[in-house]
Amino acid sequence: MATQKPTKFDQVDWDNLTGSGRFKISINMKLLLVTGVPVLLLGLYDHFLVGDREATFVRLGEDLGLSSQFEALGLDFNPTSVDILFVFTIFLFLWYLVLPLYQNMRMTKYYWKEFKRNRPAVISLIWLTIIFVGGVLGPFFVAMPEQDLFAAYQPPVFGSIDQVHVNQCVGEISDGRCQGTWEYPLGTTRGGQDVLAMVIHGMTVTMQIAFITTMIVAAIGITFGTVSAYAGGWVDEIMMRFVDIVLSFPTLLFFLLILYIYGAGLGMFILVFGLFGWGATARYVRSKALSVSEEEFVKATKISGAGTYRIVRRHVVPNTASSIITQLTLIIPGFLLAEAQLAFLGIGDTAVPTWGQAISSGRNAIDFAPWIVLVPGMALFLTILAFNFLGDAILDALNPEAEAESEK
Amino acid sequence: MGLARYVAARTIWAALVSFIIVTVTFLLLALAPNPSISQAATQAALEGGDPATAVEQQEQLRGLDQPLYVRYMDFVQGVYTLEWGWSQNRAQPVTEALWQGIYYTAQYSIPWTILTLIIGPLVGLYSAANMYSWKDHLATGFAFFGWAIPNFFFGIILLVIFGVWLQWFPIQYDTSVPVFSLANAHQLFLPVFVLVTGSIGAVMRVSRNESAEFQNADFMKTAKAKGVSPTRAYAYHVMRPTMVPLSTTIVSQLLVIFLGSSLLIEIVFGIPGLGRVTFDALINQDTNLVLGATLLFTFIAVIGNLIEDLVFTIMDPRISFDDR
Amino acid sequence: MAIEHDAAETIFDENDVVTTDDVPLLEVEGLTTSFKTEAGRLVAVDDIDFTVDSGETVCIVGESGSGKTVATESVTQLIKQPPGTIGGTVRFKGQDLMDLTEKQLRSIRGNEIAHIFQNPQEAMNHCYTVGWQITEAIQIHEDVSKKVARARGVDLLDRVGIDNASARFDDYPHEFSGGQKQRIMIAMALVGNPDLLLADEPTTALDVTVQAQILRLLNDLQEEFGMGILFVTHDLGVVAEIADRVIVMYSGKIMESADVFEIFERPAHPYTQALMKCLPERGGDQRGGIPGRLPNPTNPPDGCRFAARCEHATEDCEVGEQPPQIEIAPDHHVSCIYYGEGYDSSVVRDAELEAANAPETEANR
Repeated sequence: MATQKPTKFDQVDWDNLTGSGRFKISINMKLLLVTGVPVLLLGLYDHFLVGDREATFVRLGEDLGLSSQFEALGLDFNPTSVDILFVFTIFLFLWYLVLPLYQNMRMTKYYWKEFKRNRPAVISLIWLTIIFVGGVLGPFFVAMPEQDLFAAYQPPVFGSIDQVHVNQCVGEISDGRCQGTWEYPLGTTRGGQDVLAMVIHGMTVTMQIAFITTMIVAAIGITFGTVSAYAGGWVDEIMMRFVDIVLSFPTLLFFLLILYIYGAGLGMFILVFGLFGWGATARYVRSKALSVSEEEFVKATKISGAGTYRIVRRHVVPNTASSIITQLTLIIPGFLLAEAQLAFLGIGDTAVPTWGQAISSGRNAIDFAPWIVLVPGMALFLTILAFNFLGDAILDALNPEAEAESEK
Repeated sequence: MGLARYVAARTIWAALVSFIIVTVTFLLLALAPNPSISQAATQAALEGGDPATAVEQQEQLRGLDQPLYVRYMDFVQGVYTLEWGWSQNRAQPVTEALWQGIYYTAQYSIPWTILTLIIGPLVGLYSAANMYSWKDHLATGFAFFGWAIPNFFFGIILLVIFGVWLQWFPIQYDTSVPVFSLANAHQLFLPVFVLVTGSIGAVMRVSRNESAEFQNADFMKTAKAKGVSPTRAYAYHVMRPTMVPLSTTIVSQLLVIFLGSSLLIEIVFGIPGLGRVTFDALINQDTNLVLGATLLFTFIAVIGNLIEDLVFTIMDPRISFDDR
Repeated sequence: MAIEHDAAETIFDENDVVTTDDVPLLEVEGLTTSFKTEAGRLVAVDDIDFTVDSGETVCIVGESGSGKTVATESVTQLIKQPPGTIGGTVRFKGQDLMDLTEKQLRSIRGNEIAHIFQNPQEAMNHCYTVGWQITEAIQIHEDVSKKVARARGVDLLDRVGIDNASARFDDYPHEFSGGQKQRIMIAMALVGNPDLLLADEPTTALDVTVQAQILRLLNDLQEEFGMGILFVTHDLGVVAEIADRVIVMYSGKIMESADVFEIFERPAHPYTQALMKCLPERGGDQRGGIPGRLPNPTNPPDGCRFAARCEHATEDCEVGEQPPQIEIAPDHHVSCIYYGEGYDSSVVRDAELEAANAPETEANR
């Protein structure tokens, strides 16, 4: 609390309140600086100094004179810019979403109690955790699916396929049908690529899109929304008109055009969808910020002499955070679907193995080797479903009033 | 009256937005390296000519030697006078090619739109009236399923089950059947079903949640006290206010699916509609047609957004037009 | 026995002839309405009896949560069943409404028995014009053309005091003020020339001047149409203005019922007295309201429901059932053990209140 007594009880000396100092850096920020900055530096290094054909970590080892150590540790990765940005986003996610949940154990327990009552949402959370862990760690353990024409159309374990379709059956052949093996638990494609490996690497792409795009959307949307709400007047009017324009842009078609003219990979996809996808979020944040600023406690803070920055940072953002998270959770499926559709059409990024691509690759063989379509398709379907359930559940958990009303 | 002025203002705004989008499109094109020019230069060099003159010739041929603003004016004029150029690949004017696509797209889009409009709100209302019963849970489950399953994936699955294995539906789209025939309805059943499933989910959810609110409203008690039957009370007193937020959802859902999924659906089911035309143009590097298709979809999006706004404002008598 | 039987039969015959005059317009007996809730069965109205005659205004008074709204809404079964359950008999012109089918009830609702509600802001559908809503009420009960219905609707709006009725017929509810909306609700209630009007706090949401106008309008309309009014309110000021008879409810039970003069001049039940003490202009000094809270409706206490908040409560008050209705004067019933045999009723009498009220109510009428 204040070290010296304010002259009047209704005037709070904001500079003296612990944690309110402008130069005091929160633990979250510290952690972000410690972890995020190296990642970003690595990104810049990768972009400007490392050649296209060089593996980033090999080059880094050379530059640091630590080649032998790097080699010993097996550090020979060559992350793309998207990978590096993904790691940065994960840090952001950890320090600004997961850590606060830990810091506010009491609230977390309460939310969890509310959340737990919604069984589909719990299952969704588990599913998304699997996708997340698989997406982040999977590529370190599972190699990129490779062409192996001798292992084409291998059925999944416990499945079987008519012998005429397979070149060479890895498992046993009984009754003229090739049986699945544990070597390819989810079968293989026409090119003999392991479907399990494809799905795992697809998880990475899925999570990259979900995390990075959402971060871009959140960063622009929240800034734009709060500024607009607090500027008010003609600034607000112009900013909201701009949002109208952004919302009117058919992003997918626009991306198609960019793709057609310039060619585009996953990075461009994420950038375009991030840069054009924040309209709804900004609108939403603005309306939330406006309604929160009408609340009595914010008015009280204002009357006590707190500055706008403080009000926004300490009261408006925390009180709108929950609904913003919900809104963000619910827009992720759209991005995933768009990417899958492009990949399915064969005009996505061919360098990265995505679920959409896998679905597309199995289309012609669907009547005799349905797993090639079904496995990645179900993964995509369940992930989209999980994000929807999760968004709904967070909404319920964070908003007891809404639930009480719906049960009336 | 305020309504006319509001509609006019909103329409002018939509026109402005379309203009901005056209401008951005032009900039994208103008800033791109034109492959045909570099091609011409390479060719000239290979044939022993002067690459520079070849580039100049090419630029002159395509009007690229003119200053940017002249080209911009030409471009904008062309866009708004529907002179969208010649499709090299299809050897016909772009507008004609698009028109042919619309002919097929409309054949499944119209039934799909109508079905969504009818089924979505009604099922949602029914769900609300029977809230937390097994019927409600079933409808909610279906809504989530339809909403979450990628249309193209669902389409492929249905096609293989009902087309290839059970052979209930044709797997090849036949353009020769008359539009209003049983055969056409038969072959369009699956694509329409997939699209309805996709668009109906969100409509059902919104309809259910909004109706749930209105069915407990005070005016429902008034209606009951007047002697209104439950059926009539739902049909009029719950449905009408529900339509206000629902109208926005319906238009935006139809728009999202039309812009996002119809292209995929046409590829999956082999319908030579607008989506297929666009896709082929992309693959065949038919720049004019790609541009034309993008513009057409963009205009549809702008008009869709306009309708979304208008419909909401007109539906709710409480909104005063002067405020907006 | 045989002789008595004979006599009874003759009386019955006589009764049959004079039914229309003798049978009260509305006769409620043993009305019990309960709701299924998560916390258990909630009895909102517990075994109450009352009557309303033609041309008479009966007020049900009580604080919020006492069950008065549920009691009126149980008459025509507006309560949703389930979760609600309504028991007892509700005879309207001698016909038990409990025996009717939902369809028969619908033909009575809004026709012979009309309702007006507390919150006129929300009571009309915001998406339809007031004209549409009045026309709907007319056309449900009568097979008339739109034109005829409209003409009738405009007349009614005019009658309830909406200026420029024919032009305003096509306006939406949000274009009217709260008082005007309540007038429109009253017009809507009048479409079927009702014999009974159930008015649930119709003036609570309005400001005082408008409140007085609406009450005057109701009084005029009652004289004109001769209907019985069952009027729910928590405001004893309103009661004094319009009631012929008063029923005081507390926690789903009737505490006291009497003629309006009688109840103001000789409030017998401690709860009635407590209510009056909250009324400064009637000599009350209890501005902070009655101390304590309503009992838990899912698990009401034994004995008198008011015992926990009653200053005169003794051990006897907290055992058994709610005390029976004791007639202490003609047509004045009180549910309080002090008026029973072996108790001294003077303990609960409040001379101060009686003195303060005696002349005033007289003057008011």
